[in-house]
Amino acid sequence: MHRKAFLAGAFALLAAGPAIAQAIPATVDQPVTITFYNYNLASAGIGAEATKKLVAEFMAANPNITVEGVPYSSADASRIQADLAAGLPVDLVQTVFSDLDFAVENFGAKALEDLVPADELAAHFEGMSPNGLKLGVLNGKTYGLAYTFSTPVLFYNADLFRAAGLDPDQPPKTWDAVKTAALSIKEKTGAMGFTGGIIGPGAADWLFQGVVRSNNGEVISRDRKTLKFAEPEAVEAVQMLRDLADAGAYENMDFNGALENMAAGKLAMYLQTSALQAGLVAGAKDKYELRASTMPSFGDKPTRPNNSGSALTIHTADPIKQRAAWELMKFLTSKHGYTVITSEIGYLPLRTDIVTDPQYLAGWVAEHPLVQPNLEQLSRLEPWDPMPGPNYRQIVKTMMDAVEMAVFGGADVQPTLADAAANAQALMP
Amino acid sequence: MTTEVIEAARPAVRRLRRKAGEGIGLNSAAGHLVMVLLSLFCLFPVYWMVVTSLRPANAIFETSLWPTALSLDNYAYALNAIPIVRMLLNTLVISVVVTVIQLMTGLLAAYAFARWRFPFDKLIYAGVALTWLVPFQVVMIPNYLLVAQLGLLDSLTALILPHFASALAILLLAQSMRSFPREVIEAARMDGARSWRILWEVMTPNLRGTIASLAILIFISTWNEYFWPLLLSRTAENSVVQIGIQMFMTSEGNAWGPLMAASTMASLPILVVYIVLQRQVVQSFMKSGIR
Repeated sequence: MHRKAFLAGAFALLAAGPAIAQAIPATVDQPVTITFYNYNLASAGIGAEATKKLVAEFMAANPNITVEGVPYSSADASRIQADLAAGLPVDLVQTVFSDLDFAVENFGAKALEDLVPADELAAHFEGMSPNGLKLGVLNGKTYGLAYTFSTPVLFYNADLFRAAGLDPDQPPKTWDAVKTAALSIKEKTGAMGFTGGIIGPGAADWLFQGVVRSNNGEVISRDRKTLKFAEPEAVEAVQMLRDLADAGAYENMDFNGALENMAAGKLAMYLQTSALQAGLVAGAKDKYELRASTMPSFGDKPTRPNNSGSALTIHTADPIKQRAAWELMKFLTSKHGYTVITSEIGYLPLRTDIVTDPQYLAGWVAEHPLVQPNLEQLSRLEPWDPMPGPNYRQIVKTMMDAVEMAVFGGADVQPTLADAAANAQALMP
Repeated sequence: MTTEVIEAARPAVRRLRRKAGEGIGLNSAAGHLVMVLLSLFCLFPVYWMVVTSLRPANAIFETSLWPTALSLDNYAYALNAIPIVRMLLNTLVISVVVTVIQLMTGLLAAYAFARWRFPFDKLIYAGVALTWLVPFQVVMIPNYLLVAQLGLLDSLTALILPHFASALAILLLAQSMRSFPREVIEAARMDGARSWRILWEVMTPNLRGTIASLAILIFISTWNEYFWPLLLSRTAENSVVQIGIQMFMTSEGNAWGPLMAASTMASLPILVVYIVLQRQVVQSFMKSGIR
């Protein structure tokens, strides 16, 4: 009897689970403090300034909610792990997209569909780019809303194009054209042709995923169980990069080397996140004309760029804090929030309608033409696939090391990628 | 006969001496040249740091030895962007306190190991030595949990707490105390001095060279501490200058100008320590090996 009663009670609790999960209050009518783990706050750059400004505005508009910004290093997220282990509240997190799976499985990130009433969620999603919304979806649920994100942009030095007899109004649109232009610039000006943040020290795998996708390949299967970066399409994409490197068109340099050479006017083309725009503009000021174009394609195959950057994820289990975190999330992903994020940091607005709205970004976009390729690619944006399981970083490293060896290390492309894929597959959950 | 031989040999000896002298001169010149080159090699990064900190943003990657346009904007930006004076003060306080505490605990523990025999003393000494081999990163999270439970997160106390004792200090001082003349200690004992007085009035004053060297090592090592403050500090106001420098390295690119300005400001106190205590610094590295 007792056993039956216990089972019935347990069943009732389980059945009530989703209802309890959705029972966040409609408003925050009492003082509450939430923590906002934010990697921009760990820096002293434009990202931190914009974040502090937005948080201050939010608190002024919501006097019941106090937001405690907690800086953390996105390189290892050890502070989040340590704070969770110490039982400290981790309420809202700026999560790098590649960490999304780990954040859901280990840091308790909550699906928005389980927290927020459906009509309220739909109302907030209205006006957002459908492709942008997919970035934070995992296993069919929205765990994150794209916060600071961008697409790969081909920055180029228009002066070097002119010096090489090339038309800067016609930047290379395909990888073949990149190769031709790079070699021509190298031959006629002595400058370096092209590099990208695709591989090498400091490169995450987001840009590589976009290159492989643009050749109709993928690095991981849609069911997220099988690694596919040694499949023919991916091998062909890596072989193309290898050919660029062998021809002398693709320079082997790291993140800082590329920035340094772009700023010094010694590098003609640089494929990277648009988040670097402000730094590149500062480096080019009074020295050369910096322009930007979309990422190159494989022949006439349409490019399938994916995003870099971060999403906002709610982790708290406390309903009142969930509401407070959701309110902050709504504010940061509002028209005003994306206006600040785009114009002051250099990321993309998830709400495309503000680009032409004079109240928000229209004036800024007119003055900053470099953002156009980024906006243009938003219509083709695909998610940065996070690797699954606790070994996700080792899987990424195994893949990226192999690609680097294949492109710059002289290793045979297909067997190198196949070896790495076999090793990395063993690390999959 | 002997005199004749000596007289006959004199020119040859003179020639040999002259040759040896020439050799020494050449060797000396070559040696100086190598040392000058090595000095330039060592000083150049410091020079480059200062020069880069004075370049404007659009000239930050210029390779000219002297900036074409001098600017203090990077210093102004660094001072505005982070509370660098507060961070420098925090770093100074932490470094001084850790140095004093580690010397105190080191002296007490070293005296016990060097002068007393007690059960498992060798085992405990080996245990202390072994802790030197454990990287701080291994105990970082347990330490963090402890500090969190104590409610000391984001405080200078927490930055100091795990550094109360150091294996290096204990081992170095124990070795020095073991080689301290027994006769002096026995004489003090015959004068009625007990362990406390022997430690503070006899041994410590006579070990001041070793203690000064150790103090410099601990100070520099604490000044350069990075991982623990990175994990622990939640606000710039309660953090140290090494974290402040790192704050100019962002996902939107590194702000090299302000970073170099902050690095220059952070280097100044250590540079002063080097200049004032140059001889002791070199001795300390020679005594303990470069850490």
